[in-house]
Amino acid sequence: MVVLSAARWLRSRLSDRFWRVQDVLKYARHFRGRKNRCYRLAVRSVRRAFVRSTKARKEKKRFLRALWITRIEAASLEHGLKYPAFISNLLKSQVELNRKVLADLAIYEPKTFKSLAALAQRRRQEGFLAALGDGKEPEGIFSRIVHQHY
Amino acid sequence: RYVRQLQRLQLLFSPTAADARGARQFVEEAAQDFARQHPDVVLYVSPHSGPGPAPVLRAEYLNGTVREELIASMTSEEIVQLATKLANQSGLDIIRIRKPFHTDNPSVQGQWHPLTNKPSILTVQGPRLQPQ
Repeated sequence: MVVLSAARWLRSRLSDRFWRVQDVLKYARHFRGRKNRCYRLAVRSVRRAFVRSTKARKEKKRFLRALWITRIEAASLEHGLKYPAFISNLLKSQVELNRKVLADLAIYEPKTFKSLAALAQRRRQEGFLAALGDGKEPEGIFSRIVHQHY
Repeated sequence: RYVRQLQRLQLLFSPTAADARGARQFVEEAAQDFARQHPDVVLYVSPHSGPGPAPVLRAEYLNGTVREELIASMTSEEIVQLATKLANQSGLDIIRIRKPFHTDNPSVQGQWHPLTNKPSILTVQGPRLQPQ
């Protein structure tokens, strides 16, 4: 004889609650205060931490670019050039190095950076001569553009 | 030449447990083919009699890491796929790599310090600097 109504009396109870709680708390261990111990507070903090970490990926790019620009500005001021002049003249001389590489060069290869600053300075002077001279002088050497055909 | 980083694979299962059925089928059918295809991996099959722990595939690598994967309630094909995946891995930890590059010598010209671009009169010391 099968008693069909007995199934209603059975309640399924959680047996791995400890591990479910630990799955959340392991991401909260380095937090400050009770949110690193208490599950109720930790759930909210962990969720906010994850949301913030996903949103911060866009801001990280902006932050790092600003950091590189600060470093390049400091390094080029050591060589007597301001940042806008440095970057624009480097681009006009067809040196297409990005700010990350320029910042790394400024830190780890100071002589290379000095030569890049000198190149930018020379191109700047040639630009001034071409704009103000307006004469029959030949074009500057570093103002020549190399055309690449791919 | 390519050196396979997987040293040995240990297949620990019980011959009577119900969830080790895939492991037993793997041993009967596909273990020999797998061992022939991967000649530089040693495959140990150790059945422990009676009701024991869950069936496990243990992979040991050349750098010492031991990785255990549960094969309970997995079919023979899935175990073959798992074994090939472990055979193609290296023993490095599976964590987030912070940077995809690394150098032991980052600076060739000498790292910048506050006195690199200053006149050398600030750094040089010696009897030559004294006025005569």
